[in-house]
Order: sequence, then structure tokens, then C-alpha cells
Amino acid sequence: MAMELHHTFTVAATPEDTWALLTDLEQVGGCFPGATVTSATDEEFTGNVKVKLGPIGVTYQGEGRFVERDDEAHRAVIEGLGKGLRGLGNASAKVTLQLKPEGEGTKADVTTSMNITGKPAQFGRGVMQTVSDKLLGQFVECIEGKLTG
Amino acid sequence: MTAVDDRPAEATHEVGRDRRRKEDQRLITGRTRWTDNMQLQGMLHLAMVRSPVAHARITGIDTTAARESTGVIAVLTGQDVKDLQGSLPCAWPITEDQKAPPHPAIAVDRVAFSGEVVAVVAARTAAAARDAAELVDVDYEDLPAVLELKAAAADEALAHPDLGTNRSATWIFDSAEAGTGGSVDEAIRDADVVVEREFRQQRLIPAFMEPRSTVVDPTGEQFVMWSATQVPHILRLMLAMTLGVDESKVRVVAPDVGGGFGGKLQVTPEEIITFLVARHTGRPCKWTETRSESLLSAHHGRDQWQKLTLAAKQDGTVTGLKVELLADMGAYLGLVTPGVPILGAFMFNSIYKFPAYHFACTNVFTNKTWTDAYRGAGRPEATFAIERMMDELAVELGRDPMEVREQNWITHEEFPFTTVCGLEYDSGNYEAATERAKELFGYAELRAEQQRRRESGDRVQLGLGISTFTEMCGLAPSRVLGSLNYGAGGWEHASVRMLPTGKVEVITGSSAHGQGHETAWSQIVADQLGVPFEDVEVLHGDTQISHKGLDTYGSRSLVVGGQAVINAAKKVIEKAKPLAAYQLEANVDDLEFTDGKFTVKGAGADQEGVGLAGLALAVFAAHDLPDGMEPSLDADATFDPVNFSFPHGTHLCAMEVDTETGASRMRSYVCVDDIGNVVNPLIVEGQVHGGLVQGIAQALWEEAVYDDQGTLVSGSFVDYTLPTTADTISFVTDRTTSPSTSNDLGVKGVGEAGCIASTPAVVNAVLDAIRQYGVDDILMPCTPERVWRAIQHGQAGASRPTAEDAAGHFAEGEPNQDPPGPAGVTGATTTTQEGGQA
Repeated sequence: MAMELHHTFTVAATPEDTWALLTDLEQVGGCFPGATVTSATDEEFTGNVKVKLGPIGVTYQGEGRFVERDDEAHRAVIEGLGKGLRGLGNASAKVTLQLKPEGEGTKADVTTSMNITGKPAQFGRGVMQTVSDKLLGQFVECIEGKLTG
Repeated sequence: MTAVDDRPAEATHEVGRDRRRKEDQRLITGRTRWTDNMQLQGMLHLAMVRSPVAHARITGIDTTAARESTGVIAVLTGQDVKDLQGSLPCAWPITEDQKAPPHPAIAVDRVAFSGEVVAVVAARTAAAARDAAELVDVDYEDLPAVLELKAAAADEALAHPDLGTNRSATWIFDSAEAGTGGSVDEAIRDADVVVEREFRQQRLIPAFMEPRSTVVDPTGEQFVMWSATQVPHILRLMLAMTLGVDESKVRVVAPDVGGGFGGKLQVTPEEIITFLVARHTGRPCKWTETRSESLLSAHHGRDQWQKLTLAAKQDGTVTGLKVELLADMGAYLGLVTPGVPILGAFMFNSIYKFPAYHFACTNVFTNKTWTDAYRGAGRPEATFAIERMMDELAVELGRDPMEVREQNWITHEEFPFTTVCGLEYDSGNYEAATERAKELFGYAELRAEQQRRRESGDRVQLGLGISTFTEMCGLAPSRVLGSLNYGAGGWEHASVRMLPTGKVEVITGSSAHGQGHETAWSQIVADQLGVPFEDVEVLHGDTQISHKGLDTYGSRSLVVGGQAVINAAKKVIEKAKPLAAYQLEANVDDLEFTDGKFTVKGAGADQEGVGLAGLALAVFAAHDLPDGMEPSLDADATFDPVNFSFPHGTHLCAMEVDTETGASRMRSYVCVDDIGNVVNPLIVEGQVHGGLVQGIAQALWEEAVYDDQGTLVSGSFVDYTLPTTADTISFVTDRTTSPSTSNDLGVKGVGEAGCIASTPAVVNAVLDAIRQYGVDDILMPCTPERVWRAIQHGQAGASRPTAEDAAGHFAEGEPNQDPPGPAGVTGATTTTQEGGQA
């Protein structure tokens, strides 16, 4: 299943601070619910993420890297590829991040193109949007905590 | 001597009776031998590791964790068995130059559909095997998958790169070339009216009740395989040919089998794998699939694009029919995969007198589960297309669709009739069946009501659908199969054994899986031999008992297998005759046999005669037989039919369509079938009702849907909407009779009729209800959404493909949804978010 997810959020921090945090893969990874970053450099990271999609619980193990990173324009494209443990198929994602100042804070646009195969695609397709919304909410909350805390 | 036959003397008092089925008590209560009930000493349980991706190179398989898992005895991959597993058989190469990839039971270095087996785990318990199967770590390197049939035909990506094309074969029949009719192109050129339409036969899943299961015991002199199969005899032969094992070292048993609908007419990877693992471990092994595995990996059915061109004169007389098909094979060729659409080649012309006919079918590979026989196999596809076309022609001419059919069908005086594709229809009476159906349906009244509703602009519109179908049954004359390059014949074998107690054992090569053969065969033999129904025991489905046969599919059992039983019974009587003459001290030529007794012609009604049971005991003792007589009454017979049989019928359906919601409701369904003579009307009713529901389900509910990655998303009964009795109405059924001339019973076969006939009747009815909105086709299944869109947007809305994300149970912004809690934002007041799914 290929799907496109679009999310927008604003945080009460400058674009520079937000950019610095969002491009620190170890910090970012730690904020994603269910994710563990096992190694990270400036360009790439490895790790795993546990997700529950409706009746299916799946752990994806994989790696990601910046394919595009513009520190001036605050735009980045990150590609990730995960292998579902227990034969649950693969997931790949291409995340495009764009920060813009908004008032005192920063507005982030996140576009995610995702491909999912196997049982998670079969059983999770009806809940994918809701689940990703929920995960992003928790992610943003964590990021905000780091920026303002 | 035991039983005394004291029944009233009547020649055919069993055939035609609505006997309750002998086998039902044990089948319904489950106190019987399903394959999964088998328990053998030291038996291992298997679980398959299946590919979650549609097309990929296997770059590595790590089985370490699985091997170390509790209770695991063995883990085998494609690499382990590549030199042992052979290639799964395809018995029907339709052309000399047919292209096909090798078909491994376990994929070796590449998978070609999601669900393909990549490894197998054998463990002490089924649970341990399943747990360990999840630990097998497979690395896949994705390859481009081709999923859509037309894209595949255009070779946009290759399902099997080594083949260089997705096109497996093209099979053509042309009446001008065959000398059976004229040229279609000329007919189209000279036509007053040309109707061109393209229809989609969606992919279906047979969804038999009992999941597939296989047990293999390697501990005796013969390998014994129990399997939930329709075809134990074919399976045994194919195991021998595929694995290089002596046929005589393999015994296959199909114990009670819970339905098949063609879905168990297969030699499966799992059967080969179970055999290989049993041989590898030296222990009995069992594999039983889950429902998810069944829907995903047991073969699918249908899946065609059908392009039709019909030529007619202004007065409605049809002059030519051109059929161009694209048929989706899926990823591999199964046992009869390529032949399924070809079975339809002879049926598109149906009951109509087309003087010119052209059929061309291109078989195409995609990266999906492979397709193969499913109830009707080729014939429902053909019937759907032609019955839809006859309605389209009627619309084009502005005439009643029944009238146009009547004008073109073969009249009852014209039988036997040789069709434009060279088949000889031996008997039939389309007028009689139609007359009766119209009467039961109230055709004229319903047409009047339809008119009233249209005029008053009623929110609920009424549509009437017609299907005047025929099919070819009794597969098949071996000569015909030979001419179609099929790898086997179409005969059937039977034996009748007279036991010393007067009981009769009937051994049949037809392998029942729910059809009621035991009851029907008992009725036939009771009449033939004049023994009580209860005294007949029917044995089948074990190659060591029934050593010879071609099994059950294609409505062949009664027409072919039943005739073999009759022939064997007749031989028993012939063998008993010299002994009867000896005992009666009469000349053999002066004897006659009625109601189980030999009597002397002209010796009066009060003579005692000698009964068959008594003769059986005398033969067993063999103390006093005529000189030179072999002490046996048992007889074998193998019957090869000379022609198909051609059941037909008229099915009428009334659908009410709510034009505001698109919901449709079946108002009435009437079918009058002519299946020739009937052995057991109760069994016939069961077959008709079940068939109708399966055909109606194609029209309204069922579809195997894949997403753009090749994942089967309708892979459970939540999403593959198999109907239940709650979804159907009470059908009105009746029969007319024109006996078949190709067998002694005059029977034609009924197993597939309902399923073949009903689909177009329903779709024609739905369309008839909403044609005034400019709609001339709706893709199947005709869901409320499609019907609603069709009403709103005319043609454009009706052909929207089924959404891959159809089950958007929690979709935001949709009415009547249960919100799953606050949408993500937990306490973060400064954040906002919007979601949008493209």
C-alpha cells in the first residue's frame, strides 16, 4: 500500500533551534513513539520502531539517511527503509520536512510517502491515518518539551 | 442368506426419489474423518513461511533462530529442496509455444507473488511451528511488480523477467477457419447493428468451507498422503511425476473433504512440501492452513477483461460474435490454469444461432496468486458476457430483451443442433423453461410495475434481469480433451463388488467432496441390481481402494462416473446370468432380470426365480458353479463419454435499487433449469441453491482486491464479503426435462448451473433498474457505492475500481464514525495538525 500523509505543526521556538533539533537524528528518533535509535551519525541512522496498526503489532528494523539537507532553507528529505520482523513485510518512507517562521515560533510541514507490504498493509490500512496522526501528536509534544524545557 | 428383498416391484423406484443424504449426519456433526482430524504417532506439524512481497529476489534466509526455537525439528528453504522438488505440474498447455516459468513448491531465489512459500518449519506442535516460522528471517530485494492485467499485457513490468514477456499464450478459434461458420469480420462489416462492450470479470476466491490440509506418512512401504483434495487420483500421478517417486509407492487418500468448488482441483505446493518434509524427517507430517493462508494462497478464480463485438440485422437477428479476452493467470500456471478461459471458448455463442464466431484469448502473467478452476471455470465468464450482450442488443434495438433472445435461440425442433464452434447440443427446450420461468416470476406484471415506478419517479426503481444460459457438462470426451492439448482423458472408472451377504460395494473414481455421491450412487445401483438402497456402500477417494479414476469437477460425476457405475452393474448381471440359468435349469437366453431377480421368460408371474444376493453367496462358496465359471460376480467398467451434456435454463431476477443510496435489494429470483432426468431432487435443489448464491455473490459482493504493492487486502472474511443465508432471499426453483442422450440415465449435470446462470441475471436486473440514468455497465461487484456513483455520474462512476482502502473504518470526516479518541494532540495547545490521505 502506498500512501501519502501530510502533517503540519507549529512549535514555540525559532526555526534555527527547531532545525537543529530536528536534524539531530538521535534526539529526533528518541522522540518518535516506540522508536529506538541504535546508531546515528550526521547523515544516517539505524534503529527500530514498534507500531501497533489495528490488530497487527509490528516492529520495523531499519535504517535511514538524509538524501537532501539544506540548512539555510530549512528543508530536508529523509529516506527510511524498515524490515518488519516476524515476516511482516517491509515499510519504506520518504519524509520531506520544511520549516518556516510563523509569528514567534516555527511552522513545520511534513509530507510522508510510505509504502507498506504484508499483513500491516492488509489489516492496518483502515487505521493508518489515525495512527499516524496520533504518533505525530506524541512526537510533537516530545519535541516541544525538548525545545522549551 | 440374509436380507430378503420385499420391496414393491417397480423398475425405477430409487432414481428420482428425494432420499435424505446418507453421508450428512457424519458430515454435519463433524464426527468423521477430515484430514485435520488425523493423528499419527510421532507426527510433526508444518508451518509455511510466506513472502509478504509481490515480486522480489531472495537475497538471504537466516533460519538460525527458527531452528533453535522450542520443538522445532527441521527448517527447509528453497535452496535445501531445489534439486528434489521438481516443478509443480500444469496439465493443460493450450498452445505449442506457451510460455511458462518453472513453478517451484518453495521459491528458490525469487518470489513472484505475495503469499508464495519461501521456507517451511516442522515442529512438534502446530503452535511451535507457527511461532518458529515467524523467526525465519528473509531478506528481499524488491523487483518491479506487475499487478494490473492490462498493464501486464502491455509488458509494463515483467512478472517473470526471464520470460521476456507476460504473455503466456494466445488461443484462437475462428468459425471460418474451422469450417463451422462464416467470417466474423464480414458479419461485422455487413451488420445493421454492431454492439461493442468491454466487461470485467473480477477476481474471486473459491472460499471452500474446510481449509486445505495434508498429512503424509512416510513410515510404511508406501508413502500415504491424506489431503483435502478433489483429485486424489490426479494428485497421486502428479506426485510421482513431479517428485520422481514410483507411482506404486504412493497412496493418496481424500477422506471427507469439505467443499472445493474447483479450489481443490489442484496439485499444491503445500502437498509437495509436506511430502518432502515427511521424507526428510522420516516422520508423519501434517499441514493445515489458516483461513488467511487459504484466501491468500489457495488459487483464485475468474479475472478477465472481455471485449465483445456483436453483429446483428435491424430485425434483431444476430449475425456474428467476436470475443477477445485477456485472462489473468496470476504468477504461475497451476494444474489447469491456462485451460480455464479456453473452456469458455465454446460457450460464448451459448443458445443462440450465431452464423459466425471468433474467439481469441491471451493468457497473461501478473505478480498475484495464480488463478485456476472455480465453479464453472470459463463458462460463467462466457455466460455473463453473452447474456449481458443480449441485453445490450435489446437496448440498442429498443426491444424487450426476452423477445430478442427468443428470436435468436435454437428452437426445440432443431435439436440435435451443431453450434458455430462445432459442438453438438443433443437436447433442450429453451421455450419450455422460459415459459415456466416467466409464469413463476410474473414477468408481465413486474414489467408493468417497473413502468409505473419509472413514470412516478419512485425513489426505488425496479429492474428485471434475464439469463437464458446453457453450459457444457460431463467433462469430458477424451478425444475432445486430446484436441485441446489437455494432458489426460475424461473417462471414469467404477467397480461393483457383490459381497457374500448380499451387500454391494460400489467403488467410484469420482471423488466426492460434499456433493452427495454416496447417496446418488446408492440410488442408481439399487435400481440397477434390485438391492435395497441401504445395502449399497459407496467407496471412493482412496487410490488403494479406488485405484483408477479422474475425480470430481466440471459437473462430470453423475454424467460420466454415474454411467461407469451403471456399466459395471450391468456387467455384474451378465456375470450372474450363467449361474442363474444353471440354478433355474434354464437357457441363458430365456432369462430376464428385474428387481434383483432372474426369472424365466414365459414361466408365469408366480415363479420364485433366483435373487442376486443368493447368487453372490453361491459364488462365494463356489461349491456348485457351472463348469468353467469364474467364482466372482464383481465387475469393473471404464466409461468415456462421446459427447458433453448441455444443461440449460432460464433465470429471472428482479432487483430493487434505491436511487438515493445505491443500495439494491433482491426482490425475486426464479430459475427453471433443464438438467435432464434427476436422480435425487433434494441434492439437485442443494446444488442449485448453493450455486445461485455463489453466482449472485460475484454480481453483488465478492472481489479479491490487491493494493498497489501486490498485497491482498481482501484477505480475511471481514473484507472478502462472502454471503451467508442472511444475505439472500428464498429462491423459486423449478425444472423442465429434456433428457440427455449421451448417458443411460438421461442426466446432464447440475453442480455449476446456478453459479453460471445467476451472475448476469442479477447484473442485468441492476442495470435495467437504472438505465434511464445513462448507465450501460457497472463493474462487479455492484456495490451500493458503484450503483450510487453510476446514478450520479452515469458511466464514469460505475467503473471506479474497488478502493484498496475500502475498509476505512475510522476515516476522519465521514459520518457515523466512532472517533478513536482525541486526534493525536495530547495537551499540546500550541500545536495544530491536519491530516490528509492521498
